[in-house]
Amino acid sequence: MVVALKKEEILGLAEKAVNLAQRKGVDEAEAFVYQGLTTDVSIERGQIARSSRIIDRGLGIRVIVNNTIGFSYTNMLESEAVIEEIVLKAFKSAKASKPDKDWHGLPTKKTFSSVKGTYDKRIVELNSEDLVNIASIMLDTAEKTDDRIFPIEGNVGASYLCKAITNSNGVEGFDHGTIVECSLETIAREEGEVTPACFEFNIERTYDMNPEWVGKEAARLAASALKSKRTETKSTDVVFTQFAIQQLFHYTLINAVKADYIQRNQSAFKGKIGEKVASEIVTIYDDGLFNGGLRTWKFDGEGVPQQKTPIIDKGVLRNFIYDNYTANKETKESTGNASRAGYLSTPNVEATNFRIMPGNKSPEELVSGLKKGLLVYYLQGAHSSNPASGEFSVVATPAWKIENGEIAYATKGAMLAGNIFQVLTNISELANNERKIGQLITPWILVENVKVVGK
Amino acid sequence: MKDILSKTIDVAVQRFHAEYAEVRAQKLFKTMLTLKEERVEAVKQGIENGAAFRVLVNGAWGFASVGTFNAETLTNAVSDACKMAKAASSRLKKPIKLVDTKAVQDKVPLKTRKDPSKISIEDKVNTTSTMSKTILDYDSRIRSCTIDYLDLTGTSYFINNEGSCIEQNKLYVWSRLLAIAAEEGVFTYSREEIGSTAGYEIFDVETPEIVGERTAKRAVEQLKAKPPKGGTFPAVLGPSVVGVFVHEAFGHLAEADLTLLGSVLLDKLGKKIASDNVTFYDDGSIEGAFGSFKYDDEGVPTQKTLLVKDGVVVGLMHNRETAQKFNAKPTGNARAEDFRFEPIIRMRNTFIEPKDHSFEEVVEDMKFGYYLKIFRGGQANLDGTFQVGIQEAYEIVKGEVGAPVRNASISGNTLETLLKVDAVGKDFELWPGRCGKGQTAFICDGGPHIRVKEVLLGGSA
Repeated sequence: MVVALKKEEILGLAEKAVNLAQRKGVDEAEAFVYQGLTTDVSIERGQIARSSRIIDRGLGIRVIVNNTIGFSYTNMLESEAVIEEIVLKAFKSAKASKPDKDWHGLPTKKTFSSVKGTYDKRIVELNSEDLVNIASIMLDTAEKTDDRIFPIEGNVGASYLCKAITNSNGVEGFDHGTIVECSLETIAREEGEVTPACFEFNIERTYDMNPEWVGKEAARLAASALKSKRTETKSTDVVFTQFAIQQLFHYTLINAVKADYIQRNQSAFKGKIGEKVASEIVTIYDDGLFNGGLRTWKFDGEGVPQQKTPIIDKGVLRNFIYDNYTANKETKESTGNASRAGYLSTPNVEATNFRIMPGNKSPEELVSGLKKGLLVYYLQGAHSSNPASGEFSVVATPAWKIENGEIAYATKGAMLAGNIFQVLTNISELANNERKIGQLITPWILVENVKVVGK
Repeated sequence: MKDILSKTIDVAVQRFHAEYAEVRAQKLFKTMLTLKEERVEAVKQGIENGAAFRVLVNGAWGFASVGTFNAETLTNAVSDACKMAKAASSRLKKPIKLVDTKAVQDKVPLKTRKDPSKISIEDKVNTTSTMSKTILDYDSRIRSCTIDYLDLTGTSYFINNEGSCIEQNKLYVWSRLLAIAAEEGVFTYSREEIGSTAGYEIFDVETPEIVGERTAKRAVEQLKAKPPKGGTFPAVLGPSVVGVFVHEAFGHLAEADLTLLGSVLLDKLGKKIASDNVTFYDDGSIEGAFGSFKYDDEGVPTQKTLLVKDGVVVGLMHNRETAQKFNAKPTGNARAEDFRFEPIIRMRNTFIEPKDHSFEEVVEDMKFGYYLKIFRGGQANLDGTFQVGIQEAYEIVKGEVGAPVRNASISGNTLETLLKVDAVGKDFELWPGRCGKGQTAFICDGGPHIRVKEVLLGGSA
């Protein structure tokens, strides 16, 4: 079996690359090493049909010469000659580029944060047979739940990830973690009607999975999307589930709080610190230290400790998120929000765990409190939102109509249109069912007065 | 190189009794640039090597990917793939089979005039800086711009246990321009993409000044645009919107793996789903187009595949597995982003065939409707629900293109909408783009202007 590189090997590689760069005469250098091992079992068209093992590791080196920045990477870590070659390429890239007047250096050494619930040996030890068993449980439960459903796709995956950073200011760090996930997508068919694909999943940093629940929910959702009706055009109260919130916020709200977007005049939040931007029940943190968070790490992509940053406090905008570069531009401190796409990229400002604090009501109470409304699970087309203005125009696939506090029927092809910043001020309830989804941790939310276009 | 790879295939067949085994090995070089306004964020260069093994053992797939050509590690990886397949096969209901194909031995050289790997980094910095400067100088209301640039060159090897051995040189050049304009609290956003498999010569036609101005102009003109009314309207779709509509609303449903998942096309083969004037192709053989190549990642030659002829579904896009299931010929649509991914069915260059209407004829009978000119993004579901976001649109009033409209978005059901196409233009444009299906593929889509009797338009709040 192809095995993982150890901590000492990884740190050694990073250190070697920085040393080589310094010998070339660069002003500053930073090496980032990433390693990911993933074992995965996939479900296709109702059966477990494939399994894979993917090992991806590499090193990226960033050098600074006279305030110009060069970067190079490789995945060929066995070869000293290649490491030397990419150091040279980074150096030449910097030479060919233009100086950046706002460059004020790489981060300096700080004590890393401590994190919990991010590594579980049991996940590392899972083999493909174990994953096949989990997938079978999920698949069998789904098929037993409703005979009108068909599981179209799904997977069970276990990953071990690690990263190391070294820079010429003495920053040195290593961290590792695990992720386990299972997911199932189903459709339901009856009398010529096919539902949109419905989806459920579990994703955790520690070995805490419920494949029965995932199978059952994925099946229940698809079956309940049958016998759908058209909806009329009007403004209504909408309960958004985590799937929908993630889609809506990812392309709009999260960008709006990034220092990069603020400094480049691309955010509607520019100059609004201290102002009310959301309903007063809304409190949001970017919490890079959240226990078991999908993006919880000791340090960020530049070796700055991750932290918990208040973003919106009872509706009032408090902070933006920064990496080292954007923080230096305003003589502020980085909030530990430099993110990297493994070893392939330079750092970029990105949210860690963007947590919308939950409320007290159960999700059922959110629905039962509505005389009329819509329950929106999945959205299509959120990526075509206007990222600067926050305007969106999306399709709910599907949504469920709420009548007199109960879910009445599924609706087809309802379009929702609005502005995400208006949505923030119209949030009237938050449920108590928070869950992790991508970079978001959020409960269901109730938003008043959303425009629905139907026919 | 080929010897080491062939030996790993022997390991799969002899030691693990694989029914099928293939290896794809790649050496890739990339140059990437990001400019934010006039600032060059970083010049980036990468070197990647890796190999991917895919095997069928007891009717199930096993896959392993590693970033090395070290012989011992490759042998370990192919063994991993076989063990993975064996584990997966334990609950298999229907064994996977592949359609027969002819073994191919070929070497595919580049035909470029300007190989991007031979162009200096300074030159690439200049090209992208000119784009940025053109956008920023266009109008004082332009707030910011982001330019991304990527070129990828390298060699791919494909070897399988059926005697295929293909060496292909690869080349992609891509750039994306984003501009944001603002005035009195209104933000507008404009995007252009350039993509080619021909070479750096793309910038001789799509010069930095031309694409820069196109991007900036749209962002500024959208400032005076008004939000559309929500509801059902007749609409004229421009080639860029037609392309995304064909790709998202129809193309994905005609990818045979998705068709088999129960897409609405499953029971429509040989049946009429669109107006008589609608003919669709997916064509991997258009020279220099962003979605073109000679052999796919299963070693099958690419081709021009007819999908809909005069409104009737006549074909789907296949890999060897789905071709076997449908008793069809493979179409060369199996593509993998790189050695980290398994090949899956992907589109290439997908388009509607032009017919006979001039633009004036397409627009002239319309009392009130919308001209949806340039797309922003699109998405579709297996049930045929589609959504296409629009970045540039206009009202059509009494047969004339009128006031600009911003943040429009259309939605509907693919099959219902295709039957409402009542005019197809004689012009033709192909637009480069990138498609995500768990991995990224470079593609093109397009067609002529078309008119649709009615489509649901999402208004603004």
